[in-house]
Amino acid sequence: MTSSSAASRKNLSKIACNRLQKELVEWQVNPPAGFKHKVTDNLQRWVIEVAGAPGTLYSNETYQLQVDFPENYPMEAPQVIFLHPAPLHPHIYSNGHICLDILYDSWSPAMTVSSICISILSMLSSSTVKQRPEDNDRYVKNCRNGRSPRRQGGGSMMTKYDN
Amino acid sequence: MGNKLGRKRQVVDEKYTRPQGLYNHKDVDQKKLRKLILESKLAPCYPGDEETAYDREECPICFLYYPSLNRSRCCTKSICTECFLQMKVPNSTRPTQCPFCKTANYAVEYRGVKSKEEKGLEQIEEQRVIEAKIRMRKQELQDEEERMHKRLEISSANVNVAVADVEYSSNAVAESSMSVIEPDEIVSSQDSCATPMVRPPPSTRANRDDEFDVDLEDIMVMEAIWLSIQENGRQRNASFTDVTSDATSGHYVAEDRYVSSPMGPQTGSSSSPSGGLACAIAALAERQQMAGESSVSSNNENSSSFNMLPGSRRFYNRLGRDMVSYSSAENLNEGAPDDDVAMTQSHGEWSIDHGPHVTETATSYATSVEVEDRGELSSVSQSNDLDGNLQSATDPIIPESYEEQMMLAMAVSLAEARAMPSGQSASWQ
Repeated sequence: MTSSSAASRKNLSKIACNRLQKELVEWQVNPPAGFKHKVTDNLQRWVIEVAGAPGTLYSNETYQLQVDFPENYPMEAPQVIFLHPAPLHPHIYSNGHICLDILYDSWSPAMTVSSICISILSMLSSSTVKQRPEDNDRYVKNCRNGRSPRRQGGGSMMTKYDN
Repeated sequence: MGNKLGRKRQVVDEKYTRPQGLYNHKDVDQKKLRKLILESKLAPCYPGDEETAYDREECPICFLYYPSLNRSRCCTKSICTECFLQMKVPNSTRPTQCPFCKTANYAVEYRGVKSKEEKGLEQIEEQRVIEAKIRMRKQELQDEEERMHKRLEISSANVNVAVADVEYSSNAVAESSMSVIEPDEIVSSQDSCATPMVRPPPSTRANRDDEFDVDLEDIMVMEAIWLSIQENGRQRNASFTDVTSDATSGHYVAEDRYVSSPMGPQTGSSSSPSGGLACAIAALAERQQMAGESSVSSNNENSSSFNMLPGSRRFYNRLGRDMVSYSSAENLNEGAPDDDVAMTQSHGEWSIDHGPHVTETATSYATSVEVEDRGELSSVSQSNDLDGNLQSATDPIIPESYEEQMMLAMAVSLAEARAMPSGQSASWQ
């Protein structure tokens, strides 16, 4: 792996590497509609451009997703955040963190980057109002280490930072 | 039963009764695993291949290829033994969910190599998925078109309101709002003698290829486009105050221009540098345009009632859509010579395309992208679905000079094609 990937992260396992290479090939052949993978030499961090679906609140807007893969991908979920500026959405914090269960508790190794992307686009598309989560400011303030909010002990993402 | 016998005969090499090191397995009961594999309750731990080969199955978790895989009891999805071991977390109190269908109490069974029937069933399912995807795509295209349709309808219904808003904005926007009105009138005057207009628009693309079966309805639409383009180009020569006063005082003023204003400066511009056939056609088209002017002005009585004709609005919408599909279909291959005729045409077209959007959303820059997208979509769907029954659509109007109409149609599309890129930059100055 390239040395540019964050030092704190461990390099991808062999199986993760193999799977990501195949996912990338599959993506190039058959990318999910509305998404564009930005080519880099870093297999462990993908940057993906998302185009808001036509006819939704986010049509004609484009955003960037950053997907970081853990060493044990796909047994562990990748960390997915929106790069600045994150779309205004009731489940997306201003620091780009996304409140979406499949990225945490409901992750399954049968999912792929492509299926994550489709889920995120679907989440965007179903939004009826452009606003931040209610606890945005508190969450962003308390979230120092820049990690996506992982649910712990089954509590909701929002209540985790209530204490 | 036969399957079971087959399984018992299968002798698994000892080395495939252990994990091959795909993962760093912790807490794996090696003895139990070996037993399960030898009893054919789990697939042997064959090393996975990176490349596919005949009769290999891909594990959907590790994406490696194996001679045979386990199947989940709930949804019969495949999984290799080593990935399955990763799924089953021994110390977890929670029952493991199936990674594919999320059913609780995930469990797998091993049935050996896939039978022909299973493979057949899988192929059928794959086929169904593909078909469903195609249906979805079609539905999306259709929805897109309907949305576009509605937008245009709304904006044409609100033309007067929109125009009032536009007064305060730039000259360019005011022009575009004018072009929203005009095609409506022109078309409605023709529409008043035309019978049912409920049919979907014919495919302009398919139409151009067969010269003998040119659809008259199509020609009408294109003529309307041409006229409005010419008119729009003329407006650009007018002063700002002229345009805005037109905008406020409504369509009668705009119509007067058809009669009173002489051919604008752009008439001479058919001497395009790209020359040749296109020039000749464009010249013809202009001749046609002059004839068209008189016919429009003679139809003025009809157009005054356009607001009451539901058909006219519908027709206008179709006009808009046709134009959109035009631009996307035609601008792909052609370059952008700075041809004056083409410039005015594209300017006109651009404005017509955008008039409704600009006035409706007021985010003019963003809409440009959207409209192009829509154009692509609608052109695709139209050419896919709608080239049937063109001929049945041709009764209402018989133009006096058929050949010239055809030439006009070609000229418009040619010029539009060449003009698209330059037109875009021009309208956002």
